[in-house]
Order: sequence, then structure tokens, then C-alpha cells
Amino acid sequence: MEAFLRYWMRWPSVEHLIYRYLWVWGVCQSLHFVGMALLIGTVGILDLRLLGMAKQFPVAAIKKLIPWGVFGFVLCLATGLLFITGIYANVNIHPYVVLKSDVFLQLKLFFVVLAGVNLLLFYVTGMSKAVDRLEAGEEAPPLAKFFAGASLFLWIAVMYFARLIPSGKFQP
Amino acid sequence: MAFLDWLEHTSLSTTLRDSPNVFLYPTILAFHTLGLAFFVGISSAIALRVLGVAPGLTLAPFRKFYPLMWFGFFLNAVSGTLLLVIEPTKFLTMVDFYVKLLAIAGAVLCNRLLYVRHFKNPAPVDPNPLPLRDRAVAVATLFFWAAAITAGRLTAYDDPHAQWQTALGTAIVTAALVVGGFVSIKGWRVVVHGSVS
Repeated sequence: MEAFLRYWMRWPSVEHLIYRYLWVWGVCQSLHFVGMALLIGTVGILDLRLLGMAKQFPVAAIKKLIPWGVFGFVLCLATGLLFITGIYANVNIHPYVVLKSDVFLQLKLFFVVLAGVNLLLFYVTGMSKAVDRLEAGEEAPPLAKFFAGASLFLWIAVMYFARLIPSGKFQP
Repeated sequence: MAFLDWLEHTSLSTTLRDSPNVFLYPTILAFHTLGLAFFVGISSAIALRVLGVAPGLTLAPFRKFYPLMWFGFFLNAVSGTLLLVIEPTKFLTMVDFYVKLLAIAGAVLCNRLLYVRHFKNPAPVDPNPLPLRDRAVAVATLFFWAAAITAGRLTAYDDPHAQWQTALGTAIVTAALVVGGFVSIKGWRVVVHGSVS
């Protein structure tokens, strides 16, 4: 398992791209933040509406903003994978070692997974469909409020721990 | 420069800079990111709405999100000031840092223009689409935010050459994403609806 991860996590082509071009790492950093802002701006507005802020918004209309949040997430995922698989080019430490030793990276990824599970539950419990019917001024069901609150909390945790990653202890 | 030197050697600056405690420097940096997410995120969502995304949303209720947006700005002003105290010479002698401040000023001004025209005293019925002038302000808002984020990221580099290359690279990649996205969405509509509208 370790050999498998050690091979695939240090995806050579990504590493060389970062070595070869001075700007690749920085461009991806900027896009990672742009993606984050799109995700939080759109999903955050939906979560806050479900929690009772700006109830004059019909929920189905807010959901038209969500594709931009999904686009933001895809930007973050693509650039984030590049940061992990290409980290050797930046700090000269094997990504497997970083993943194994940086507790903040582990916490970030853990909260991303929890946010994904939260989203999945929002769909499978039928809450996503239920809130689509909410017109202006209507209150979301308690379970939907729970998922919305959890979503806000989890994404804030993701951002917080993500920014601590460079302070994590790498053991080369 | 004597002032910057003095500031850099105050105990506040040295403590925040040199302490290994994650609740000091790294957490200030993290709050700078959280403030950005809410300030830029909500502002961008409003700009997207002005540009015609999610037309079913009336403009008036967006007013409720302005306090949260300005709270994000407040977080960033406080955390940003602390980050400046930590490394005053580095930031204040860097051209890129002033580019970042100008981009933020531009974005705040555009936000304010849209707020005064459409959110402060909303019309009983929103014009659809919104006037070209407002859509231009919304595009400018998004541009200023992308510029502010990029310039902010670039403060991490000491080398002006690396900064220029990265700025240019970001401009090219962003332009490619915007043009590519625009063409794909229009193309998708032609395929699905058989018309460009």
C-alpha cells in the first residue's frame, strides 16, 4: 500500500510541470482561492437562506447559483490535487510523507470528506427536494437547517485547517 | 524606513512573527482567508446575479447579506493590519502590495455603486436584464477580486520576476477559463434549446 501511494502520489508529470514553469504553482494558488470564494459565496448563501436569513428568496431560485459553486469546487479539487501530487517540486519532501505527517492536511481532508457526506445525506434524506418547494418567506424543515448549519461549519473548518497546512510538521 | 524598522522590532511584531504557536501567525493568516471567502464570495455571488445568473432571485433580499459581507471585510482589515505589523518592510516596499490594495479599493467601490443603485432602495420590480452600466460594474467587481486575490498570493514571492510571470500566467489561464466557459455554455444552449438566447 505504501509503495502504491508513494508511486502514484508523486505523479512525475505534475512535478516536472512545476519545476519547468515558475508560474504554475502560483497560478494554481490564485485559482484555489478563486474557487474557494465561488464555493463559499454560492453555497453559503443557500445555507444561510435555509437557516432563515433572507427568507424572501425562493430556494429553487438560489439553486441556480450552485453550478458556480460546483465550478469553484472543481477548481479547488484540480489545483489541490496538483499541490499534493506536486509538492516535492516545492518543498523537496515526498507527498506521502507530507500526507502522513501533516496533521492539518489530514484535518482539512477529513472535513472535506465530512462536507461531502453531509451533502450526500442532504440528498438521500429527501431534504434537497423538500427545500426546492420553499417559496418566499417559508421556513426550512429542521433537518434541512441542520444540514445547512453543518455545511457552513464544515467548510469554515476546511478553510481554517487548510491555511495551517504550511505550519504542519513535515518529517522528511 | 526608521519607522518600519521600529515597528518590525516591537514585541507585538516579533512575538507574532517568531512564535511557533499555531494560534498566532497561522491563525491570523487563516482568518484573513475566512474573511476573504465571505467578503469576496458574497460580493461575487451578487455580481453574478447582476450579470443575469439566477434571474429568479429578486435583488432586495440580498441586502440581508451585506452585514455578513462587511463583517468579512472587517475580519480582513484587522487580520491584514496584524500581518502588516508582522512584516512591515516586506509589504510596504513591495509594488505588488499596493496593486493589491488598489484592486480591493476598486472592488469595494464597485460594490458600493451596485448597492446604491439597486440594493439600498430596491425598485418594486427589478429590470431584467439589468442596465448595461450595472452589468459592466459587476464584471469590474469580479475582475478586481481576481486581481486582488492574485496580487495577494504574489506577496508570498520575493522575486519580482516570479511575480510578473505568475501574474501573466494567472491572467492567461483565467482568460482561457472565462472564454472557454462562455463558449461551452453558449454551445450547450444551442445543442439543447436550438437557440443562443
